[in-house]
Amino acid sequence: MSSFLSSSFMHNIFGGLAQGVIYSLVALSLVIIWQSTHVLNFAQGAMAMFATYVGMTELERGVSYWWCVLIAVVVGMALGGVTERVLIRPLYGKPEINPIVVMVGFLAVIEAVATSIWTSTTRTIAAPFSQVYFKSHGQLILLSPFVIFQIVLAIAIMLLVAALFRFTKLGLQLRAAALAPEVARLLGVRVNRMLTIGWMLSAGVGAIAAVILASGSFGLFPTDMDGVFVAGFIAAAVGGLESPIGAIAGGLLIGLAEQFILAYWTPDVAPLGGVIILVIALMIRPQGIFTKSVGRRV
Amino acid sequence: MGWLATLRKQETTHIRLVSVLALTILTLAITFVLSPVADSQLAGGAAITIVILGLSWLIGWSGQISLGNSGFMAVGAYTTGIWAHHHAASPLVITFLLAMLVGGLSGLVVAIPSTRLRGPYLAGMTLAFAAAVTPLAQNFTSVTGGEGGLFFNTLATPSWFGHLFSGVNASIDSNAQWTADLAVAIAGVMFFFMANLFHSRSGRAMRLVRDNDVAAELMGINLSRTRTLAFVVAAAFAGLGGSLFAIINATVRPESFPLTLSITLLTLMVLGGIGTLSGAVLGGIIYSFSPSLVAHVNSLTGVNPTSNLGSNMQGIIFGALLILTMLFAPRGLTGLGQRLRSFIQSHM
Repeated sequence: MSSFLSSSFMHNIFGGLAQGVIYSLVALSLVIIWQSTHVLNFAQGAMAMFATYVGMTELERGVSYWWCVLIAVVVGMALGGVTERVLIRPLYGKPEINPIVVMVGFLAVIEAVATSIWTSTTRTIAAPFSQVYFKSHGQLILLSPFVIFQIVLAIAIMLLVAALFRFTKLGLQLRAAALAPEVARLLGVRVNRMLTIGWMLSAGVGAIAAVILASGSFGLFPTDMDGVFVAGFIAAAVGGLESPIGAIAGGLLIGLAEQFILAYWTPDVAPLGGVIILVIALMIRPQGIFTKSVGRRV
Repeated sequence: MGWLATLRKQETTHIRLVSVLALTILTLAITFVLSPVADSQLAGGAAITIVILGLSWLIGWSGQISLGNSGFMAVGAYTTGIWAHHHAASPLVITFLLAMLVGGLSGLVVAIPSTRLRGPYLAGMTLAFAAAVTPLAQNFTSVTGGEGGLFFNTLATPSWFGHLFSGVNASIDSNAQWTADLAVAIAGVMFFFMANLFHSRSGRAMRLVRDNDVAAELMGINLSRTRTLAFVVAAAFAGLGGSLFAIINATVRPESFPLTLSITLLTLMVLGGIGTLSGAVLGGIIYSFSPSLVAHVNSLTGVNPTSNLGSNMQGIIFGALLILTMLFAPRGLTGLGQRLRSFIQSHM
């Protein structure tokens, strides 16, 4: 058993899963926004980065790690809510290029502002978990307390989101507002408020992804989330942008694929791994693997 | 103004040719009075104009959103760099045609999966392509020179042009101006091509596909072929723009084509006016002036240009301009100009 756990195959499984849960969280956050407002938020990664940097600044003032996580999530949620109110709300009913362009502009602003406040150097937050890998019979296993924390935290967040949508009154209202806004409005759901809450929720989930990334050994720099956003988008698109389960599965798939291409093929083409997966997935099922086909009204 | 209106209505290839020639010659004349620094800024603006022409055609006329045109630029630039590395003596025309060809081919590769996608999917897919280009260029060191990039000098100022200049800085002046003139002339040629393409059968088909794809299909237009064509043309234009960019800078490096370049391209196109020829030229002009614009804002607000905030001012200004334009004037400067014109006409 121990030799199996320390085999190179399991190394790559652990490494891929650790990276994959980050992509899954970003993908999940994209799906939440897409479901509620049919906007693909290109600034999602940058917003999460910004929130995490604010949390990190507080950490340097001496607050504990958990406070820092909480601050990042709260700042992220506030940013998400304000963004929906100020930038997205005027664009409902406009051509679909308009919100894309606006969020791309927002991405540029956030990254430039963050770089001017915090410079472009990499920053890390020390998580209260060791990054030293476990050993079994003298053999290294690519698992550390931190990696386990990272995976457990991500799963906990996913379960929390699932429970919120499935078991609470707020979740029911959120789903109703996304599925049939007019009917929901007639039944007394405050649809506009639900859209704002959807964006806040999504930005909170995204902030967790950036916090995990910043807590790892590679840290976080202001444009770091660009690549993570792309991977998260691919994961969400493979799942069809509509399906939370699909997004999570897609994120794990991308994480594992990157890891295995890196290990068994050549690191040169690793950046293309995600694109290739997306192309194949979209060629098989343009609407995404996990969605039901819908007709388009003309 | 009656004759002008008639002229506008009867717009033909000849009239287009004459107006593009006039505009190009005017710009070429201006380069004679500009400083070498302004000349090289103008050269960059001309290269960017070519890229925006392609992007405007793709987004404005075929309705497909691309965030990947910095990737196509990189393909054209690296084609130029690698070709110049091995065949330094080959004529520039061959280099440019090759950059357009390879750029167009990369557009075809991206288009095959992309033309089946719509809106945000397409934007994300092309973004993923652009994001993959920089690491690929960094990794394939043997071909691309890795982080250091490729250096080459293919742009020799002809001696007859050099003789026009005298003084201490004659060679600097003549080199800078030759680069600018070359870039402006090429931009003029490409503008003429795009103007004709806009008004061609393909251009009309493209607009129909954008506005009502079902109607277009019923008219016998092949949807995926039309959409693919839009991508290939846009990528070829971006490839040429990237090639010019590389030749102007005499180098090509991975960080020359970051994702933010795609955002800049989008900003310039939206500012000028989506899907308009004059908008693309306005975008190029704004690009040329952007260093001065940023310096001006820095001095107005009292920000030290070498400070953190000062060096990131361009990203902040461009991003904010993109948001504000989209929220309050989605048709850009060209749209504002049209509104102004109709306002004046209705009050005269």
